[in-house]
Amino acid sequence: MQRSRAITNRGKDEIIVHGPYGEVSVGNFIARAAKLATQLPDCRYVINLATDRYHFILGFCAAIIAGRCTLLPPNRLQHTVQQVAGEYVDCISLGEDSIDGVERFEIDFDSLAIAGSEAAIPKISLQQLCAIVFTSGSTGTPTPNHKYWETLRAGTLGNVELLLQNVSDQVNLLATVPPQHMWGLETSVLIPLFCNVAVCHRTPLLPMDIANALESLPEPRILVSSPAHLDAFFASDVAELKLDMILSATAPMSEKLAKNLEQHFDARVVEVFGCSEAGIIAKRSTAVEEPWQLSRSFAVEVNDDGTIIRAPHLPEEVILHDIIELIDEGHFRWRGRHQDMVNIAGKRGSLADLNLRLQAIPGVVDGVIFMPSADSKRLAALVVAPTLAPSDIVAQLRLDIEAAFLPRPIYKVPKLPRQETGKLTRKAIVDLFARTKRSRTTKDGDSADN
Amino acid sequence: MQPQSEHELELAELIVESLNLEDISAADIQPEEQLLGDGVGLDSIDALELALAVTQKYAVQLRADDANIQEVFGSLRSLSAYIDANSS
Repeated sequence: MQRSRAITNRGKDEIIVHGPYGEVSVGNFIARAAKLATQLPDCRYVINLATDRYHFILGFCAAIIAGRCTLLPPNRLQHTVQQVAGEYVDCISLGEDSIDGVERFEIDFDSLAIAGSEAAIPKISLQQLCAIVFTSGSTGTPTPNHKYWETLRAGTLGNVELLLQNVSDQVNLLATVPPQHMWGLETSVLIPLFCNVAVCHRTPLLPMDIANALESLPEPRILVSSPAHLDAFFASDVAELKLDMILSATAPMSEKLAKNLEQHFDARVVEVFGCSEAGIIAKRSTAVEEPWQLSRSFAVEVNDDGTIIRAPHLPEEVILHDIIELIDEGHFRWRGRHQDMVNIAGKRGSLADLNLRLQAIPGVVDGVIFMPSADSKRLAALVVAPTLAPSDIVAQLRLDIEAAFLPRPIYKVPKLPRQETGKLTRKAIVDLFARTKRSRTTKDGDSADN
Repeated sequence: MQPQSEHELELAELIVESLNLEDISAADIQPEEQLLGDGVGLDSIDALELALAVTQKYAVQLRADDANIQEVFGSLRSLSAYIDANSS
């Protein structure tokens, strides 16, 4: 028997979106989404590239109501979207930009505006495939993660319990992360369907824009972001306002940044641990505690093969590339990432894979890509390539590596400090990197003096 | 290749220095070349760091409002013009 559940559990008069033209109630939003669902062209898949969050959510819900599956590529670059569209051919795209070779559907907002707010709340089969979220990895070949309505719905109810307990009055949420990324999807798209949250349609990145968008929202306010965005926002010192909660994910946050943010915005800073495959798994108050509190939806098993995550709403178990130490059933400590894995701007990559690609470039005799230190924002590379300039190497790498993983700087060296066995120790790499960097700085100083 | 103005060269030096672009020299950045994505190859995290460096040096806060961030950062020329227009 097919079981189904409502697309939202909220009251029709509550506010779900602070849209470009004002507040939109749940009832009105559902009526518009249901109408849009009848207008979508015949297709199986919808690639939702909308940058305006209201448009994204409207298109996302309309697709679910119409029984279409939304495809969420890891980024909006032409070639990434075309790669996904090439595999899921029966698709259209939604959003401001058009992609060559993909039929773009233009939402006629005027036709939706008359929809009223008395539409019945649609019920969605728990087995319906609602979305495929792609993770890019380092190679740029997107890996699909299937999200059924049961996965999204139960996952979101668990997230509300974990992050937004005791919310009765309306909370207003602003996200700086895109809705297409799992972190943005779970917080800014799905939570508003199952908790009294009204989400802002904007996605600001620059500190001034974040401040302005927050000021446009009534209190209480929640900011959903990442350490890189929050670091810049705090450092720019542009906002004097109160935030109730700051939610951060995609990369580890330092205790110092968490404390600074809590003090400056009088906010609770909650860091979230998760991945695209499983969604939000755990949280902690980084300013005051190190252990992570596991969401009640999940069970963690640590064995010789690694860390395995299970939940009734997940289609399959998820293996984490993280080393985890269980404290008790509900808490764990994070002890690092599998040595080979790096996480940059919310994208996971394998160093071994990146190194193979570097070493395969014609003219590269030897080379290594690595993370210079724990708080580096970018990878760096040491390369033996007598005939190539660093810019040639970058140009070659750019062909099959995600931009976030491009090493910077690339230093050319006469040889790598390999041991007799061929092994490269991290210490030898980091030492050579530091020496090379120093000598270059001195040389620059010399030439400036001449 | 179009020559950089004095302000553009100064901004190019800030870009190279603040983002550690050790493979590019300031004089190599074409005034009309796209800064983000193709072209110079900066990404959104670079944009944030650059925005901070611009604020520190010129006391100008960059804003995109609801426009695409690409439009503000555009090229060396457009960013330099934005800073000139907004500095007191």
